Amino acid sequence: MSDTILEVCGLQKRYPAFILQDVSFCLQRGRIMGFIGRNGAGKTTTLKSILGLVHPDGGEIRYFGIDFAAHEEEIKQQIGYAAGGVSYYQRRRIREIAAVTASFYSQWDDAAYRRHLQRFQLEESKRLLELSEGMKVKFHLALALSHHARLLILDEPTSGLDPVSREELLEIFLELAEEGVSILFSTHITSDLEKCADDIAYIQKGRLLAVKPIGEFQNDYRLLVREGPLSSEQEALVLGRCRQKAGDTLLIRREDAGRFAGMPCRQPELEEIMVHLEKEGAEQ
Amino acid sequence: MNKLLKKEFGLTAAPITYFFLLFALMTMIPGYPILVGGFFVCMGVFYTFQFARESNDILYTALLPCKKRDVVKAKVLFTVFIQMASWLLSALLTAVRLTALRQAPVYAQNAMMNANFAYLGWLLLIFALFNSVFLGGFFRTAYQLGKPFLLYTAAAMVLIGIAETLHHVPGWEGLNSQTEGFGLQLIVLAAGAVIYAAATVGSCRRAEGRFEKLDL
Repeated sequence: MSDTILEVCGLQKRYPAFILQDVSFCLQRGRIMGFIGRNGAGKTTTLKSILGLVHPDGGEIRYFGIDFAAHEEEIKQQIGYAAGGVSYYQRRRIREIAAVTASFYSQWDDAAYRRHLQRFQLEESKRLLELSEGMKVKFHLALALSHHARLLILDEPTSGLDPVSREELLEIFLELAEEGVSILFSTHITSDLEKCADDIAYIQKGRLLAVKPIGEFQNDYRLLVREGPLSSEQEALVLGRCRQKAGDTLLIRREDAGRFAGMPCRQPELEEIMVHLEKEGAEQ
Repeated sequence: MNKLLKKEFGLTAAPITYFFLLFALMTMIPGYPILVGGFFVCMGVFYTFQFARESNDILYTALLPCKKRDVVKAKVLFTVFIQMASWLLSALLTAVRLTALRQAPVYAQNAMMNANFAYLGWLLLIFALFNSVFLGGFFRTAYQLGKPFLLYTAAAMVLIGIAETLHHVPGWEGLNSQTEGFGLQLIVLAAGAVIYAAATVGSCRRAEGRFEKLDL
């Protein structure tokens, strides 16, 4: 069995005001990939294209080594999807939605479903509109986790969750990854990724800026606090800057750190990289 | 397909759609444009589409392991089932009017449409319009309901007007008779059945093609 669970090659989608260009990445078995980028960068378009909800203008999508377009039904049996802020059938009871959903999956595991309900403290008799946003996400995750999906595609799954629930969810992701399930999830909460992601796919203005292991990605950059004026040569090397009370923080490439001798620098957090890159425009 | 159809009836259907089936009982109202009952039955189906849109049903269904084309087929089949259930009820009531109540003065002196074979044919045409105009229009976007339903309403009202006028035209009185003119009435019924089948199948195929190309 191939270890490549999801393969996206040269994905393109053209809208009048936005272009998704040449998005390519692979997700391996048992890996968790965080998909990050600011609002409007193309995360949802990419995820929707991967799920067949949006028709790409170019590119190929393969799951488990087979073409998605030709085997959509078969592939969907093996993937689960959940999104924060999106829920279905608000006026229906959990029991009703689950019963219908279960009928579509050949590998539906009712015992696993019951375990997830218990774990997430979901009551089957409740209507979705009676649940908080966080509980709705948990319900959709319970559905996604109950048909033994080999890949979970999650769009902002932790949004709306309280810190304890988020922590629980991240632990579940880690357990699932240990069992061989792959997870692709988009989020704005980069601290979640630092806790559980193996890889990062960073998208900016419709282009993938980087796809690599999270540690490698963070190690590509250095963050320093500006002390005194910069030379024009140093200015050219700055990828992004943020104004702070204690002095401007600058993001540079690790290999350029030597050009800023005397300025204290460190490896930035994921959020710091994102904020600096987005404030000052794209890395070339 | 069976799973999708079960989903349509059990999860997606607005309860009011089933309640609106009772508008078939309008078949029994004398001195009333009884074809409006068929329009109301379709309005009941419209409420299901409205409920489905509010429930994010299209997205939910498109993510299930099923063919995108079947999503459309299931919704068309659901509509056909509702229409046929109401048509059968109307046919049953029409049979009562044509037999036991044949001589009832309220029907014998009825200036508006009588329930007979032609009425059942007109009903099928009302349903055919819905399937063609509303269903076809809805699947252009899979979310816009207002415009296609407004267009259907206008077209249905025109059709009801024509149907209610035609039996007053000299030579066409047989269309409204409960005792004679059955040949002409059966032609209207047959034409209604053929047009209903053609409009529904045609609309379903167009809608499948449109839905396939939609970005959700």
